[in-house]
Amino acid sequence: MKLRWNPIVKKDLQVTARSMRLSWGLFAYEAVLTMAFLLALSVIQQMGSSFYSYGNVYGYLIYLFPVLSVAQVCIVALIVPIITASAISGEKERQTFDIMLTTCMSPFSIVLGKVMSAVLRILFFVAAGMPIMALAFVVGGLSWSYLFYFVLTIILLSLLSGSVGILCSALCHRSITAVILSYAFYFVIYILTFLPMMLKGLVAQVENMGESMLPLLFNPIIFYEEFFMQLMAGESLFGGETSNFTRSEVGFLTYHLSQGKVWMFLSAACIFLLSFLLLLAAAWKVNPMNASSGRKRKQN
Amino acid sequence: MSLCGSIEKGKGINMLYINDLTKNYGSFTAVNHLSLHIPEGDLFGFVGPNGAGKTTTIRIVCGLLRASRGSVRIGSTAAAVGSKEMKRMIGYVPDFFGVYDNLKVREYMDMYGSMYGMHSRDITKLTDDLLELVNLSDKKEVYVDTLSRGMKQRLCVARALLHNPRLLILDEPSSGLDPRARVEMKELLKNLHSMGKTIVISSHILSELSEMCNSIGIMNRGQLITAGRIEDIMQQISGGKRMHIQIASGMETATRILKEQAGVKIESVRENEIMILFSGADEEISALIGLMIQNQVVLTGFYREEGSLESLFMQLTGGGAQ
Repeated sequence: MKLRWNPIVKKDLQVTARSMRLSWGLFAYEAVLTMAFLLALSVIQQMGSSFYSYGNVYGYLIYLFPVLSVAQVCIVALIVPIITASAISGEKERQTFDIMLTTCMSPFSIVLGKVMSAVLRILFFVAAGMPIMALAFVVGGLSWSYLFYFVLTIILLSLLSGSVGILCSALCHRSITAVILSYAFYFVIYILTFLPMMLKGLVAQVENMGESMLPLLFNPIIFYEEFFMQLMAGESLFGGETSNFTRSEVGFLTYHLSQGKVWMFLSAACIFLLSFLLLLAAAWKVNPMNASSGRKRKQN
Repeated sequence: MSLCGSIEKGKGINMLYINDLTKNYGSFTAVNHLSLHIPEGDLFGFVGPNGAGKTTTIRIVCGLLRASRGSVRIGSTAAAVGSKEMKRMIGYVPDFFGVYDNLKVREYMDMYGSMYGMHSRDITKLTDDLLELVNLSDKKEVYVDTLSRGMKQRLCVARALLHNPRLLILDEPSSGLDPRARVEMKELLKNLHSMGKTIVISSHILSELSEMCNSIGIMNRGQLITAGRIEDIMQQISGGKRMHIQIASGMETATRILKEQAGVKIESVRENEIMILFSGADEEISALIGLMIQNQVVLTGFYREEGSLESLFMQLTGGGAQ
């Protein structure tokens, strides 16, 4: 069977490639990444010239990788919702969305096409940032496979951010409202997932945290912390031989999930699942056959 | 009670079946028990003032809105509204043409062809043919956003025809177009009709519809007031064909003959003209003229008054359209 492009991805990439916005976006991305690199380099130089480092600046250069990666993660997390939050609402504003819905494309294909085009655009940016990322590899100590794993996590993060954006876009009629709602959604995923743990630890002040950390499986901040811990130090943020936790501090499930690399892979699966569910919700919302009949449209 | 507008057209089968369609927005009823059957190959005009429910009906047929009640069927298929099978049978042209920046006419057609699951080779061939049909062959490599509104609307028709739908639905295709673009659009639709396409047009411009359409449906406040062939509706509303008979001499004889004829109702008698309402067949008119001439009535003129869609519309709805 011949593999076919999603027509929306093809159109979006064609339109984006001809736009000056892509060039300016790439320029801004590179500029931010360069600034992050220079900032990290100056910090590393200061650390290298301190009394305890014995002037060995090269030992610290390995930290360029997580610093530049985190910079990219932050940029991606911030710009993907902007791209996707205007995807459906933008089509509605242009009045092209109705035509799209009258074609044979299913609502899920439409929302998936929109998110995939956003992910591909992000991959352009990441590819453009590779030369700067490669500077972290000059001094050795890092495997090229790290870069590959990092790109995989960026795709996962773009998928999550894109799904959040597309759902908000499906819920809102105006792009700006959709962008604001996307960041509100971010607050829920990035901050409120800490809430059960904080309530248990700070408010109740119990010694055993139970399973209150499980919502953090959906939190990209914890996922990236765990990812870099595993990659750079080879140990988990939570557990393992040199565990932060003992069995008496956390619940049974949390303890076993935090062993080895289980948390990292499970968190990736949870983030993927969440993205998929958000995409399904967006597809359900844009399907006119599911839409509520409360809103009165223009009639002639 | 619902009014079912069914347009008889020889042996032709019906293309669009709308049965008892109702759409409620809360307590407001936009479409109220609408039943309508449109024959294959018809050019059907949907007429009604703002808020009559034309666009709502069209959106339901196209699968863009869920009906509160009722059913829509195309041809003999039992496909549900909004299903892929149904979507393949409908070409939809909205009243407004949305534009993507930086997309060429060829790419625009290619994108929508792909959305219907067509192969790129077929899309390329059909695009060439359709752009020629809508007179845009020379604009293939031009960016869509640089086209004039009339050109965009014709491109939209070409796009709607790309998957060879059985039914073409146009919602206010002439809105916002200049007179020249309107004429071009009208000619294009006449051309498509002559090719055998079933077309449904919703419009406010009644004069335009009366020139193009062979049948109409008049909606008001969500209800279908009447539907059918324009001349049949005219006749039905006025109670017959209105004739003007101009007479040079023999006025009394002519009046007597007309009074004696069945199916003739004298509406007015002026100095040299009698206006009648005739409900018989066309052959009977010639027999009537022959009888008057045999009785020494000198006729100087005889013509049938053409009723306008505007007057019909005003009579049925109490105004509201151009």
